[in-house]
Amino acid sequence: MSKEETRGFFSKIFRMRPADKEIMKVVGMDNEQAGLARYFDFLVVAAAFLLFCGAFHLHVMLSAGDWDMFIDWKDRQYWPLIIPIDTIMFPAAVQAAFWYYFRLPIGATLCGVCLLTAVWVGTYSYWHLWTMFPITLNVPSIIIAGCIILDVILLIFRRWIFVACIGAPLFALTFYPSNMAALTGFYVPVEHLGSMASMADVIGYTFPRSATPEYIRIIETGTLRTFEGTSVWISGVFAAFVCIFLYMLWWQIGMAFSTVKTWSQSPKIKKFLGFKG
Amino acid sequence: MKLNFINLFKVIGIVTFYFSIEMVVAYAHGEKAMEPYFRTRTVMFYDVTWSTDEVKVGEEITIEGKFRLHSDWPQAVDDPDVIFVNQSIPGPVFARVDSYLNGVPARQSFRDLEIGKDYHYKMTMIGRVPGNHHVHPGIAIKGSGTIIGPGQFVKVTGSQADFKFPVTTMDGVFIEDLETYALGDVFKWHSTLALFGIFWLLWWVWRPLLIPRYQALKQGREDLLITKADIIVGIILGVTVLVAIVYNYNAMANKYPKTVPLQTSRMYTDPIPLADPQIKINVSRAEYDVPGRTMRMWVEVKNNGDTKVRLGELTTANLRFINKSFDHALNNVIDNYPSEHMADGGLKIDDDKFIDPGEIHKMFITAQDARWETERLTAFLTDVDARVGALLFFYDEDGNRKILDVASSILPVFTADDGSSPNYQRIGR
Repeated sequence: MSKEETRGFFSKIFRMRPADKEIMKVVGMDNEQAGLARYFDFLVVAAAFLLFCGAFHLHVMLSAGDWDMFIDWKDRQYWPLIIPIDTIMFPAAVQAAFWYYFRLPIGATLCGVCLLTAVWVGTYSYWHLWTMFPITLNVPSIIIAGCIILDVILLIFRRWIFVACIGAPLFALTFYPSNMAALTGFYVPVEHLGSMASMADVIGYTFPRSATPEYIRIIETGTLRTFEGTSVWISGVFAAFVCIFLYMLWWQIGMAFSTVKTWSQSPKIKKFLGFKG
Repeated sequence: MKLNFINLFKVIGIVTFYFSIEMVVAYAHGEKAMEPYFRTRTVMFYDVTWSTDEVKVGEEITIEGKFRLHSDWPQAVDDPDVIFVNQSIPGPVFARVDSYLNGVPARQSFRDLEIGKDYHYKMTMIGRVPGNHHVHPGIAIKGSGTIIGPGQFVKVTGSQADFKFPVTTMDGVFIEDLETYALGDVFKWHSTLALFGIFWLLWWVWRPLLIPRYQALKQGREDLLITKADIIVGIILGVTVLVAIVYNYNAMANKYPKTVPLQTSRMYTDPIPLADPQIKINVSRAEYDVPGRTMRMWVEVKNNGDTKVRLGELTTANLRFINKSFDHALNNVIDNYPSEHMADGGLKIDDDKFIDPGEIHKMFITAQDARWETERLTAFLTDVDARVGALLFFYDEDGNRKILDVASSILPVFTADDGSSPNYQRIGR
């Protein structure tokens, strides 16, 4: 396919709406330039997708990996606390860059979709095919619902402070129900070796991880009736509170890292490096 | 070089070939990487048995044995306050059916094990992945890691496709296979949310994206970039997601009305009640002859019991030195015990005899084997805790066994001062 044909292909399949044509008119792009711009868009989108898949996945695996990787780590106390706190960082930073430079309210959703893609590729390839664990042991968490809410709040209010105060708490509070919509079955009780266990406990026990003894799990070890016998909403509220400030922090980090910084061309530095002033 | 597909395949081929020739199968589980003080003075495995060395997929194998927590517990290793009965196998090639410590189910970890005491473990597994797998018992100690027991190759035959692990819930629902349980719920919900997310991305990506939006924004035309339709679609999507969460959360709560949180607690069991062996041992000196790959130990044994006893075995780091001239010691070695854990030369004892009740007997023990080196059990020049520990097995005339754990500083002997071998029979006596 020649360059002209390629441009034509992109121009045809992305037929613009009147509002889009208005944008092109305002920025002064003709049809050929518009085709090239689309070509550039899709190169960047493809690269960004792979980049965010890798980077966000790495971030989550290194900082909260076990809670995301193993079904018998998904408890009521730490899992709904740690995963939202850990996973709001990337979406906030990416949202900042996409919103500030392009007014695109998709940064968080992009991160959520990338993370889900990467963890399922990992779950299937290295956990299931390579190390032979059943998928039931390694069902990952999902944050897409919270990410969409973050983006929609940004779209409606158009100010990051509102996203921090409304979206970030919702991101944390929707995490547990949006995951339990898939995982409830793993908490069905089973009689196992004379005591009660959840199905998730039994799966974790049955398929042994030689280097992961049971005591290494960081999970809920006791609950007070004061809290209605469940710690999940306490964890959720605390996660929501922390997420507010983490969102603010990571929005600023996203802004800082999407800004090009240059060294001033000081004559002293030039001289030090051997250049003539 | 022109970059085309043929050249690309050439590069991939060369890289693949390079990694292929470097590829070796790893059979061990890192036990050689553990420091000598770990392996000779913490969890001392003995009486380990494997019910079979070949199973079909779905058939059971039972591993059973005992261990003593050595009295000379190293300072660098956390005390066994929390332990887990585990096994070291290459991934989940077996599925664990049950495990016990002193008959108490070991699904969860145990607390407060006693140093110097003995415990019995038993675990049953079923074959899952065909192959020849090295199977060890292991005791994981919180804060320190897993101490691995002796290993034996177990062959699993058949097809993995035949593996099923059925479970019945407390509601009486029969689950055909634990490997695929509830995955339908997961795939359905994850796909639904992924579709919502992809829709939202495509809604924006399908339109002029980066350069035009950036330029328009610079010209102050934000009004063109976010339209009323965008806001309406966004609100509809946000509300739909929230409604979907509430609906599915309730739907799953109705589908599985009884659920419980993850279960965790610490189990406890008393040690095995073993009778006092009534033998007192004092290690006068222990040496390791580096060029000769030999451990020598001078011990003074006092028999405080009322029966004669004789030394039959020294075990350390899963390496067994048997007194081959003593039938009771030989009878304690099961058929087909893994040869890699048996010292070829056995245990040499000068003045080897039954020690009478009340007698104090000085013994010179020699344990020679190349495995001291190949198992990396010597690290005198790098180890800050140059001590060696072992279990000594004594037997009376009826074959009744008495087990003692001993430990001592160990001195490396690189060579004699005059270049000749030292007279070991005289040292320390």
